[in-house]
Amino acid sequence: MAAVGKHHVIIGGGISGSQAADTLRTLDPDSRITLITLSRLPVYNRYDLPQVFRGRQDWRDFLVQPPEYYRRSRISLRRATRVANVDATRRIITLAHNEELRYDTLLVASGGRGYLPEELAEFLPLLDSFTSFEDAVTVRRRLPEGGHVIMIGGDMIGLDLARTMVETGHRVTLVAGPQTFWPHRLEAGERKQFLAVLAKMGMQVVESEAHGNIETIEPGAKGMPARRIVFGDNTDLRADSIMAFCGLVPSVEFMLGSGVDIERGLLVSRSLRTTNEAIYAAGDVCQIWDQDEKRYRFYYGWKNVRAMGELAARNIVGGDEPWSSNQDESLRVQENGSLYSPFWEYA
Amino acid sequence: MSANLERDLLQQGGDPQAQPIGYSADPRDLGWVRQNVPCQTACPAGTNIPQYIRMIVESRYGRSYEINREANVLPAVLGRICSRPCETACRHGWPGNGEPVAICHLKRAASDLKDAGHRITESLYSPTGKRVAIIGAGPAGVAAAHDLSILGHDVAILERETYPGGMLRYGIPEFRLPRDTLEIELHNALRLGVELKTGVSVGNGANEVRLSRLLEDYDAVLLATGCMAAQSLPMKGEWENVEPTQTCSDVESGLDFLLALHRGEAKRVGRRVAVVGAGFTALDCARVAVRLGAEEVTIHIRTTEEYIPVSHEEIFEAKREGVRIKGLRTPVGLRVDERGRLTGVEFAQNRLGGWRSGGRRQAIPIEGSEFVDPCDTLIVAIGQKTIHDLLDLKVELDRTDSVRLTDDGMTSVRGLFAAGDYVTGPTTAIEAVGQGRAIARRIDAWLMGKERRKTVVRITPVAGPLRERAYDFIPRQAMPTAPLHDRCKSLALEVEQGLAGDAVLEEAKRCYLCNLRYEIDIDRCIYCRACIDVAPRNCIKLVKGVETKTDGSYGTLEEAKDWNEVCAIWIDNNECIRCGACFRACPVQCISITRNELTEVEA
Repeated sequence: MAAVGKHHVIIGGGISGSQAADTLRTLDPDSRITLITLSRLPVYNRYDLPQVFRGRQDWRDFLVQPPEYYRRSRISLRRATRVANVDATRRIITLAHNEELRYDTLLVASGGRGYLPEELAEFLPLLDSFTSFEDAVTVRRRLPEGGHVIMIGGDMIGLDLARTMVETGHRVTLVAGPQTFWPHRLEAGERKQFLAVLAKMGMQVVESEAHGNIETIEPGAKGMPARRIVFGDNTDLRADSIMAFCGLVPSVEFMLGSGVDIERGLLVSRSLRTTNEAIYAAGDVCQIWDQDEKRYRFYYGWKNVRAMGELAARNIVGGDEPWSSNQDESLRVQENGSLYSPFWEYA
Repeated sequence: MSANLERDLLQQGGDPQAQPIGYSADPRDLGWVRQNVPCQTACPAGTNIPQYIRMIVESRYGRSYEINREANVLPAVLGRICSRPCETACRHGWPGNGEPVAICHLKRAASDLKDAGHRITESLYSPTGKRVAIIGAGPAGVAAAHDLSILGHDVAILERETYPGGMLRYGIPEFRLPRDTLEIELHNALRLGVELKTGVSVGNGANEVRLSRLLEDYDAVLLATGCMAAQSLPMKGEWENVEPTQTCSDVESGLDFLLALHRGEAKRVGRRVAVVGAGFTALDCARVAVRLGAEEVTIHIRTTEEYIPVSHEEIFEAKREGVRIKGLRTPVGLRVDERGRLTGVEFAQNRLGGWRSGGRRQAIPIEGSEFVDPCDTLIVAIGQKTIHDLLDLKVELDRTDSVRLTDDGMTSVRGLFAAGDYVTGPTTAIEAVGQGRAIARRIDAWLMGKERRKTVVRITPVAGPLRERAYDFIPRQAMPTAPLHDRCKSLALEVEQGLAGDAVLEEAKRCYLCNLRYEIDIDRCIYCRACIDVAPRNCIKLVKGVETKTDGSYGTLEEAKDWNEVCAIWIDNNECIRCGACFRACPVQCISITRNELTEVEA
C-alpha cells in the first residue's frame, strides 16, 4: 500500500480514469485523489452517447457514478479543467488557468480525440462533433426528424452511432475510406463484405476513393440541406449534418514537455508505467509494449480501457502486474445479417 | 535598465516620449535583453522580433521589413522557410500561455505588405580598399557579402552553380520558396557592388580556381561552401559497407535528388516511395515525390514525430498532401528483385533510448524485430557532410573532420576564414545567415585592425502600455494554403499563400512585446499593492532579495513570506506578459516602461 497521504492525480475523466480513481480509493484509502476532466459533467459514459437518439437526453442517465459518489469517496473532481503542462521533474501539473498541482503519482488517462485526416482539416468548422454529451444533444436537436447525415470514415464508434440513427428513422450515408471499421484489422476481402452488410442495415455506402476523394465541403445553398460534399469526380452529396469518425488521436499535447516518451501515444511498459517512474498511463492515450509483435500498440474498446484503469491503479500502489487483454477484436456478421463488433459491448 | 540611466530619464519628468533615448553597454542591460526577449535570443541572426512585430501593429510594414533586414538580409525568404527557433522560445507558447506567436508568418507579412515602391535604406561605410573573396553564394556567403560591402570592402563571390542562392535555390522546392522572391532578395543583398561570379568552381581541377591563388589576390577569403555531400546510409548484413545509391538505380540521396531537380533535370519516382530521414530535406523530398506522381509516399524515421527537427506546420502540410510518417524504425537492408530493382526496405523496430548530445533522442533497434516495407523508390535524406576537396593547401581540421577556427573565425591559414555549414555541418538557413553576419564583423575587425561595430542596448522610454489584455485571447492565425488538388499537381505553386491583412494585424497583436521593460521605482512606491491586485498572473512579487547573475541578468527572486521581510516590490519579468494592468492601476505612477533593444553602434 502506498504511503499515507500520497496525492494521486488522474488526468482524464473517461472510463479508464474513473475506474482508476475507484480502484485507488479502495486500495489506498488514506490517499488524496484528484480527478481532472475537461468535461463540465461528472464522469459519464461516452460510449453510450448514441442513446440520445433513443430519447435519453438527461445527462444524469449517462453518469458512471452518481454525483455524491465523489464526495463520499473523497475524490476531488476537477471539472472543466484543462491541463497545460506536466513538469515530471518537479512533479507539478500546471492547469490552463495557471494553478499548479503537486502530485506523488500521476495517471494520464486523457483518452483520444477524433482524428480528422489532414486533408479535411480546413473543413472542420462545417463538421458536427459528437465527442461530448453536449455535442450529442446539440446534434440530436439540430437534426430534423428523418434527417440525412453523412458520416465520413466510419470507425466503430461512428458506425455504432450510424446504426442507431438508422434504427431511429434517420438517413445515413457512409463515405467510406481507409478508416472505416477502425480499429478492426480486416482480412483481404472482408471490407467489401462488411460494407455490403452496412448497406443491408440501411446505410447508403459511398466509397470515397471511387469518386476521386472528397474535394470540398461547403455550406448548402439557401433552401437546400445545410451541408454539401463535392468529390473529385464532381459528384456531390447533400445532407443536414456531416460528421467525421476516422479513429482517435491520443490527447498527449500537455505531456510534450514532460520528458516522457511519446510516439503517437504515451509509451508504457507492460505494467502501464511510462518512462517516468511516477507517471502511468491507461486507456486510449497509451501504447503498450507488445513483446510478441515487438512494437508499441494501442488497445481499444470499453473493456480494455476499463481494465487498463484498474491495472494502472493497482500498479500505482505498489503492484507489478503486466497488462494482458482478452478482448475479442473480430468483426463479424450475425445470424440476423447485421454487423457485430465486440467494441459495441458496453456494460 | 541600469538604475542610474532610469533615474536620469525619470528625473526629466514631463512627457516620457520627450525623454531622450539612452544607449547602454552595461552588462545588466545586455543580460536583461538576453534573458527577457527569448525570441531574439533564440534567433541565430539576433533579429529584433518584438520591434518588427510592433511596426506591423502600427501598419508600418516597410519599417518592419527594414528592422528584419538589419539582422537577416533575406527576410522574405526566411519568412517562408525558417526553422523558427524563435517560435519555440516564444513566451506566448510557454505552458499556460497558449500558442507561440506566428513570428515567421509575420516576417513574411512585413515583406508582402510593404509598399511596392519601398526603398531599402542602408548606412554605408566609406570604401576601405580591402578585397574579400567569398566562396559559395549560399545564405552564409550572401549574408557575409552584404555586411562586408556595407562596411566598405570590395567583395567578390565565387559560385560553382549557375545561379546564386546555394541550398536556398538548389535544395528547397519552389512550392516552399518561390524563385522570384529569392531572386529579389539576393539582388538586394548583393546590389552594393558585390561582384558575383557564377559557374566558377574553386578546387584542384583543370578549370578550377585555386584557393591559394585567391589568397594571393584578395586580402581575405571566406569559405562558405556549405555541406554538399550526402551522408551514406549505414546498413547491415549483405548491405554492410555498400553504398546503396551506387548499387541500385532506385535509390538516391535526398540531396542529389533535389539538386538534380533544381538544376532542371526531369526526375521520376516509382509508385511507392520511401524516404528515410527526419529533417526538412526528407520532408521536401517526400512532398516533391507526391508532386511527381507517386501514389504512396512514406517517411520512415528512427524516433518519433515529436523528436524530429521540423515544424509541426510542415509535417501537417505534408500529411495533408498524403505523405505518411512511420516512426521507430531503422533501415537495415534493401530488397531487390532479380533485375536489381528495388522492391522494399528492411527495417528494424526501434525503441526510444536516452538523449544524444545536441538534444536529439536516441533510437535503439530491437534485435530480431526486422520487417520489410515494400517500395520501389528509396530516397535517403539522413544528412549531409562537409567535403574539403576544394582545398589546395593544408588547413587544420579537428577530430570531427571540421575545419578548426580561431576565436576570430580564421582557419589555420592566415587570411582564410570559414563560416556556415562548412564549419558547423548541416544547420538551417537562419543559422547560416547568422553566421555570415558574425563572420563579416570578424573579417572586418581583422582587416581594419579594430572592432568597428559593437552591440549595445537602446533604451527608449514608452509613454504607456502598448497592449490590451484582450490581445492575450486572440488565437494564432492560420496560414492560408493553396487548395490540395492544385498544389499536388505543381512543383511551383506556393503552398503557403500568406496571411491576409486583417489576420496579420490580429497575429501581430498577440506578441507580448517582451522588449518592454516594466519596472517599479521602489523609492516612490507606497506599497499599496494595487498592482498585485490587478495582475492577471503571479508577476508582481514582494521580495526580500534578487539574485544577480554573472552575466548581469537577474536570477531567482527571493520572495518574502512575512511583511517585515519585504525589501522591494518587484516585477517578475519571467511571468510578466506586458499587459499593462499594473501601470494603469498604480496611483502614484511609480511604474515605468522602457523599450530595450539590442542594436549595433560605432565602437
